[in-house]
Amino acid sequence: MTDVRAPETDPFDPAAEPDDPPRPDPASPGGGAFGPADWLRWVWRQLTSMRIALVLLFLLALGSVPGSMLPQQGTNPAGVQQYFTSHPALAPWLSRLGLFNVFGAPWFAAIYLLLFVSLVGCVVPRTFRLAGSARTLPPRAPRHLARLPRSAEYATALPPADAVEVAARVLAGHGFRLRRPAPPADRADPADDGHWVSAEKGYLREAGNLLFHLALLGVLVSVALGGLFGYKADRLLVQGDTFADTVSALDEFHPGRFVTAADLGPFTLTLDTFDASYISSGAQRGQPSAFDARISYTEQPGAPVRTGHLAVNSPLSIDGAKVYLIGHGYAPVFRVTDARGQVLYNAATPFIAGTSGNFLSEGVVKVPDAQPEQLGFTGVFVPTAVDVGGTLESVFPAADYPVVSLIAYAGNLGMNTGAPQSVYQLDTGGMQRLTANPQLLLPGQSLKLPGGRGTITFTGVVPWVSLAITHDPGQLPALICGIAALGGLLLSFMIRRRRVFVRARVAPDSRPGSTVQVGGLARTDASGGFEAEFATLAAELRSAHEQAGPHQSAAHHQSAAHRQQEGE
Amino acid sequence: MLRAVLRARRRTVVLAAAVLTGALLAVVLLAGWAGGGNSDVTDVDGSASAVVYAAGHRPLAPDFTGTTLTGSKLSFSSYQGKVVVLNFWGSWCVPCREEAPTLSDVAAQYQPSGVSFLGVDVRDTTASAQAFARSFHVTYPSVGDPSSVITLDFTAVVPIAGTPTTLVIDRTGHIAGAVFGTATYPELTAILAKVTGKAGG
Repeated sequence: MTDVRAPETDPFDPAAEPDDPPRPDPASPGGGAFGPADWLRWVWRQLTSMRIALVLLFLLALGSVPGSMLPQQGTNPAGVQQYFTSHPALAPWLSRLGLFNVFGAPWFAAIYLLLFVSLVGCVVPRTFRLAGSARTLPPRAPRHLARLPRSAEYATALPPADAVEVAARVLAGHGFRLRRPAPPADRADPADDGHWVSAEKGYLREAGNLLFHLALLGVLVSVALGGLFGYKADRLLVQGDTFADTVSALDEFHPGRFVTAADLGPFTLTLDTFDASYISSGAQRGQPSAFDARISYTEQPGAPVRTGHLAVNSPLSIDGAKVYLIGHGYAPVFRVTDARGQVLYNAATPFIAGTSGNFLSEGVVKVPDAQPEQLGFTGVFVPTAVDVGGTLESVFPAADYPVVSLIAYAGNLGMNTGAPQSVYQLDTGGMQRLTANPQLLLPGQSLKLPGGRGTITFTGVVPWVSLAITHDPGQLPALICGIAALGGLLLSFMIRRRRVFVRARVAPDSRPGSTVQVGGLARTDASGGFEAEFATLAAELRSAHEQAGPHQSAAHHQSAAHRQQEGE
Repeated sequence: MLRAVLRARRRTVVLAAAVLTGALLAVVLLAGWAGGGNSDVTDVDGSASAVVYAAGHRPLAPDFTGTTLTGSKLSFSSYQGKVVVLNFWGSWCVPCREEAPTLSDVAAQYQPSGVSFLGVDVRDTTASAQAFARSFHVTYPSVGDPSSVITLDFTAVVPIAGTPTTLVIDRTGHIAGAVFGTATYPELTAILAKVTGKAGG
């Protein structure tokens, strides 16, 4: 967000430029005949004003606060579920306000679209103005150069026309852009004798400024590009499982406006193993020391299988997409059989760690095809369990002594009709509880359900990882534009626009030769330094005039020693 | 006078910027709403989620091989020359469970006239899928697709955006119709009538 702020705090206040037209002040809409066109213009000016842009920027920052404080549907659906359970009264209201999906909420979109329009509306006209300013010629030389901040005057033997010619050559040699008088016939001012030259230097400042503004537009476009053509997706992957990057294999998919299901990079990724190591002693006990996900993947169907590693902050790039490791947890494996021993369910079931630490995790098992009634289980998984006064506590995040605690239900899971369900939640509304107390199971242990409903066995535990898959085509352009904006900013900071004028008048007392007046000013001279530059330039002009003598010759090349001698 | 000229020029610039921004926004919004109006695709039964592709615009179904829920190998190419109803489903998926009785009914009605039915069991385990097949009395085979690679292959030719999806493949192996989401009896029979040239099996 810092980069989009820059145009509003433009250090080169255009109002400081002497030949800039003053921005027409938006009259208050109350006064005079204010037609619809004026209203539109007023709204547009307000929208593109710095004040509104800052307000919008502030709102954007304020709006993203709930996005970081509340669990978000896109990044943490399990967290949202949990919030709904723990705050049943508040959560529906927060959901209605879009606070669980802040970055997709209409009010958030409204803020950033307005900010985008505001910035574009501010930068585009500025760019036109800067482009114009970079092309302008210096103004005509003022009549009285002695009134300028810097000036010098000396006599030369050259006649005025030649003196101006020599001066023009010297100035051109220093890279100044020159302006010479118009031919006499076109002169507006009859008093203009035509013996002057205006010179200006430092147009690179405008070029830098222009680059900065264009690059800013580029950043905005890149961000929009990422939003329109990029996508974000999430997938929870149990160790040993494979998934293909296609919509139905993703848990969450947030495509940009122009992204379709067919645009997903057709890669396939397998989680071979996941290892997490934890510090086992000392004050840091239980803190993670390393994560390593070993994966194998194919970039497209039929391509050779490659292997790689995923770690936190070390994403894998596959086919334009980036795959990040964003979380992990445990998936206890359960087998459910009916009374005849027929297997109804046999799967690693991801459990989600709660906030109590040490990966005390919760999850559910749904057996929709059990007969005669559907079965459901809510469970707590404890990786390293100790019994503290009758309740299980997790004392270490590694699965050193895993235990699950299950409550069994039978009835209607609500899965045969109706809305899609979360795999992490059990709607027990249509179900009856089969076990009075939570039943503890160690790996290999079974729980026989009452009434001949079958058996559930906790057969083991495997880790899972959650992956974020992102594709942002605007990332690289945004980086390039960001660097260009910085470069432009530096250029425009370091280069000054400065003007030098030379006038030659016929010498008084009808002597041969002329009087040369040199005047100069820096248009934006905050840092100083122009005084010395002007002195050197004036001295060089003078020596060029002296060298040229009455017979004009190419005299603008001076030896350093000579210049020093001639200096003040 | 100069100031007035400059002011007029500035107004033009502001106006140009406004028009440019407006145009950009319009393009973005229009592009967002566009996408319909494809004459090669016809909605079935007034629902945009069920479509028939016009002859000549039918995407070729990719071939695949897999293991059925009962453990045998199955190759899609063995269905060559037949009309196939290919249903992507999962035992975990509520709308799949909702449409399962409909699919069984349509299968019972059309199988005698030579239409084959085949399931692709997405993101599922064999145990759960077999239990599903038992409780819904599914008689046709299903190929397991736990990693969604078969789905990925099909997504390259038809916009499968989730489970369930039902495709109707004609005798030449081209996808002639599709139902995205829960398939209903009228949708399925309407597509099948078009593809087989027979109403009601």
